[in-house]
Amino acid sequence: MAQQTMTVHLKVWRQSGSDSQGRFEQYTAEDLNPHMSFLEMLDVVNEDLIHAGEDPIAFDSDCREGICGTCGFVINGQAHGSERGTTVCQLHMRSFNDGDTIVIEPWRARSFPVIKDLVVDRDAFDRIISAGGYVSVGTGPKPDANSIKIGKDVSDKAFDSAACIGCGACVAACPNASASLFTGAKITQLALLPQGKPERTRRVQRMVHQMEDEGFGNCSNIGECEAVCPKEISIDNIAKMKREYLRAMLSDT
Amino acid sequence: MTKLDARMPDGPLQQKWEQRLEEMKLVAPNNKKKHDVIVVGTGLAGASAAATMGELGYSVKAFCIQDSPRRAHSIAAQGGINATKNYPNDGDSIWRLFYDTIKGGDFRSREGNVYRLAQVSNHIIDQAVAQGVPFAREYGGDLANRSFGGAQVSRTFYARGQTGQQLLLGAFQAMMRQVDRGKVKMYPRREMLDLVLVDGVARGIITRNLVTGEMERHAADAVVLCTGGYGRTYFLSTNAFNSNATAAWRCHKRGAYFANPCYVQIHPTCIPQSGDYQSKLTLMSESLRNDGRVWVPKDEADVDKPPHQIPESERDYYLERKYPAFGNLVPRDVASRNAKYMCDKGLGVGATGRAVYLDFRDAIEEQGRDVIEDKYGNLFHMYHKITDEDPYEVPMRIYPAVHYTMGGLWVDYELMSTIPGLFVAGEANFSDHGANRLGASALMQGLADGYFVIPFTVGNFIAEYDVQKVSTDHKAFDATEDDVQDQIERMMSIGKEGSRTVIEIYRDLGKIMYDQVGMSRTKEGLEQAREEIVGLREEFWNDVKIPGRADGYNKMLELAGRLADFLELSELMAIDASERDESCGGHFREEYQTDEGEALRRDDEFCYVAAWEYDEDGDPKMHKEELEFENVELSTRSYK
Amino acid sequence: MIPLKRALSSPVGRKFVMSISGIALVLFVIVHLLGNLTLYVPDGGETFNRYAAGFDAIGPALYVIELGLLAVIVIHIGWGITTALKNRKARPDDYAVSVNSKGGPSNLSLASKNMIVTGVALGIFLVVHIWHFRIRKIYVADNTEIDGQQHADLYALVHTAFSDPFWVAFYVGAMVFFGFHLRHGFWSTLQSLGAMKPEWSKGIYALGFLVAVVLTVGFMGIPLYIYFLA
Ligand SMILES: Cc1cc2nc3c(=O)[nH]c(=O)nc-3n(C[C@H](O)[C@H](O)[C@H](O)COP(=O)(O)OP(=O)(O)OC[C@H]3O[C@@H](n4cnc5c(N)ncnc54)[C@H](O)[C@@H]3O)c2cc1C
Ligand code: HEM
Ligand code: FES
Repeated sequence: MAQQTMTVHLKVWRQSGSDSQGRFEQYTAEDLNPHMSFLEMLDVVNEDLIHAGEDPIAFDSDCREGICGTCGFVINGQAHGSERGTTVCQLHMRSFNDGDTIVIEPWRARSFPVIKDLVVDRDAFDRIISAGGYVSVGTGPKPDANSIKIGKDVSDKAFDSAACIGCGACVAACPNASASLFTGAKITQLALLPQGKPERTRRVQRMVHQMEDEGFGNCSNIGECEAVCPKEISIDNIAKMKREYLRAMLSDT
Repeated sequence: MTKLDARMPDGPLQQKWEQRLEEMKLVAPNNKKKHDVIVVGTGLAGASAAATMGELGYSVKAFCIQDSPRRAHSIAAQGGINATKNYPNDGDSIWRLFYDTIKGGDFRSREGNVYRLAQVSNHIIDQAVAQGVPFAREYGGDLANRSFGGAQVSRTFYARGQTGQQLLLGAFQAMMRQVDRGKVKMYPRREMLDLVLVDGVARGIITRNLVTGEMERHAADAVVLCTGGYGRTYFLSTNAFNSNATAAWRCHKRGAYFANPCYVQIHPTCIPQSGDYQSKLTLMSESLRNDGRVWVPKDEADVDKPPHQIPESERDYYLERKYPAFGNLVPRDVASRNAKYMCDKGLGVGATGRAVYLDFRDAIEEQGRDVIEDKYGNLFHMYHKITDEDPYEVPMRIYPAVHYTMGGLWVDYELMSTIPGLFVAGEANFSDHGANRLGASALMQGLADGYFVIPFTVGNFIAEYDVQKVSTDHKAFDATEDDVQDQIERMMSIGKEGSRTVIEIYRDLGKIMYDQVGMSRTKEGLEQAREEIVGLREEFWNDVKIPGRADGYNKMLELAGRLADFLELSELMAIDASERDESCGGHFREEYQTDEGEALRRDDEFCYVAAWEYDEDGDPKMHKEELEFENVELSTRSYK
Repeated sequence: MIPLKRALSSPVGRKFVMSISGIALVLFVIVHLLGNLTLYVPDGGETFNRYAAGFDAIGPALYVIELGLLAVIVIHIGWGITTALKNRKARPDDYAVSVNSKGGPSNLSLASKNMIVTGVALGIFLVVHIWHFRIRKIYVADNTEIDGQQHADLYALVHTAFSDPFWVAFYVGAMVFFGFHLRHGFWSTLQSLGAMKPEWSKGIYALGFLVAVVLTVGFMGIPLYIYFLA
């Protein structure tokens, strides 16, 4: 079968380290199979760069099927590219036109310093989780799983919040670089479930304050985060976080 | 020669674990914090082990390659996790899960280990629920179950198609809680490159900081390896891009035996490769085979025709034809092998000719589109997204892909390797799945090891051996770090001049492995593969091209190091496969099949675990651990 | 309990402050417009002056109310500016290709992106506006007699101002900023309080547009009406 191939022009952010100055470099990728994923296209570009004795474009990826949250950069001003509900590893070249110019930039936020090229440091997210994104139970004998009844509706809702892959697109797309969707999703999941209720006051307080201390911006209720979220997590999670916080402000304990 | 001692407790199967727990020595609570434990890997096994040991009071250091422990490959598991809760009241029991696992593994696993796995399976579900893992539920609030992978009972718990993600996040969060409490120190973006032995005991590791390129030394009283499987030896697999065997292989080179390296599971329902640029393959849940019908054109001339133009009479529903009893639901290995045969015969479809159809036309006609959408909507969506073809209209194209490795570092009942102080958990060990793993049991095993076995057996080791502190200034650390440094320098110096990229060589290795050490193997092919691997290894060490520098973020250098190890491990896989003159589970030797073309096991000669000892001169030595079956009778699988 | 000081500067708490002060301002603005509608009555300003004179009847309590209002404005501005500064700091290096909305649930728009710009413009407007009518009412306005009592002839003040195309343009321009501010602000204030359900979200966002248009047109109409018709 004859395959049609395509060519795209890339403008890629290159930055050798966190302290160095970055700049855009231009590359042309030719003879691409439209069924390639975007990352595979970059793999091909990199192979050429390596053969030419140049440094390949650094980017992170792992599962390449949209679940681990490792990949992510901004394509033409859109986190994870133009398709909704998609990570960049799930984006295919067929969603571009032959001859397109594509601008690729890393997530940009003070709390996500660039490590190299398109690779950023997202440790801040893990610190937000360690501030309270868990149920404080140890390992050991537990009551039978079915002794905690949770209606399907609640459990489905909790799942919607729990689907977050921690990729950071919400921060990247937010004009304020706010991490509210990420933080709100975990707070919401655990606030909905009976297991998470005993420590909800402490949790929301610690997680929100950690988010602030990490230097993320504040939510202006713009909702671009939801639009770019590969798991389409709703900003209702942010509203829920606010209710939880208000509750914590007013609670006695 | 050391005799392999599995340290299996005596006594009846049902009491072995309890009895061992009672015998174990304990570390005094206030002494625990003086004991450092290293956990390498933060998948299900590693995260759960680190969380539990941190909580018990040990000073834990945890390491992972990814930028966050939450991204370990376990995150990608879709289908579910088994447990013998018997909530659906369909007759499940610990015994049944035990028996199914032993049989599914084609009688090549240890009874004691598997029984323990079945025993703790229920605790895993209780634990996960207590952590807030949002498993699927019924309207009344109870947990939902489904049957999976041809099991006759519904014992699989799931969280939509993201069970691995939710279980891992549960374990990850438990671990992050210990990070907050200062009990676990997390080191992300670190790759373990060697194990440090002091007087023959595992006392630390050397890691490379993947951001700065710096070498780092970490000492501990015990090292727990939870670094996952080696499916990426085949380059293309359903495993994540960074999955690797480096940590396990380097431990092997330091003396840990590698068991059953030839046992690899090849999953039948994956999205086929679309071109040479392909970097990984995507798995689709095997539940699709409940309603999809597998076929290829009868005539080679039809393979390029659009499928709807091929009339019913010209289609070969080969699984239904060959296995009338099980039809499209034959086990993974059988389905995979048959797809390969069809494609080898030139009947494969799609751009590369390496795919078979999985057709839902009849199911949609009989049950209606809505029903099918309800059952498989998300899978159809995923397929559509990747291939740009609508499976409601055109049959899916599928092809088998490497998915899971049953082999791994040899461990005893307490999950300790042949190196004292080195424990191995999760997919990285060989322990529970024999020659073939059943669906939904890897998650179970990872968490069983991490939550319920390792924390006790490591404690027992620390108490029993009375380990003394070593400092990272010890000369063993100097020597090991020098070895690692030398290898990196060697690679970088060849890499400057070389002409073939890491990926090019890696793809070649993948091809050799798929062709000769894949779904169907022959002695001749395996020997040829061995030769080719040796040649490729030479090519790597003479002509590999590696860009950039060693003192910073360098993905290709990382990958080169992993490839160097795969180039050695792959040879051992070929050797092991060629030594095992029988067919069992995922290991199919064409010379050993029944008249009907089914796997022919040879229990009289091969009912053992092959544990390989490393040899610098390329002549590894096999140690046999005979498998004794006291509780089950060896039988033959039949799906006709 | 969260210490109030910490809470009110936290990312969530500071939005409570913005939101509550915002609601107060919107309520005030609605009342303000309702009163000002009397300007549309074609009676040479009698109704309007009568309405304005009503404030004098409140006596010294008026100062308390005005100071309260001022405090709300100061708080809104104070929190608004610090919030915006923090947001700016959260992304020191901006994108070369600025965020290009993916649409769907996103409310990214000129209005939502520029709350601080429209807010600062409104702040400047407020200073001018207060000087223009509130301060000048005391020091500049002539007196007029209503029911035998002397009151400032506010109508004359307004009328004179809006006979000048400069002031007409100034007020109309300011109202454009006001419209944009409310277009996002109305919805935002509910979301900030967590008083939002996903099912309502689209509806309330649309309602926000309506409220913004009605208030903006209502205010904008005054200078235009006076300039062109009265
Ligand atoms: C697509 C897919 C679907 C699956 N679905 C199911 C399912 O439905 N049910 C089921 O039971 N099983 C399933 N499996 C199998 C199961 O997911 C895995 O076997 C299991 O998750 C392995 O867990 P683990 O903890 O052993 O290792 P992993 O999760 O692979 O974790 C390995 C860890 O080790 C780290 N690591 C590796 N090397 C190094 C090194 N050198 N230095 C430092 N760190 C290192 C990694 O960073 C990572 O943290 C599936 C597998 C795949 C590929
Ligand atoms: C008549 C005057 C004003 C009214 C009616 C008004 C109303 C509102 C409302 C309702 C909100 C939404 C609150 C929220 O997001 O929770 C808001 C937000 C905001 N206001 Fe005002 N406002 C006025 C004046 C000002 C002024 C003078 C400033 C000056 C700085 C300002 C700055 C802001 C900012 C920056 C926000 C956005 C906060 C955010 O999105 O994070 N506003 N305003
Ligand atoms: S690489 Fe895992 S989400 Fe893209």
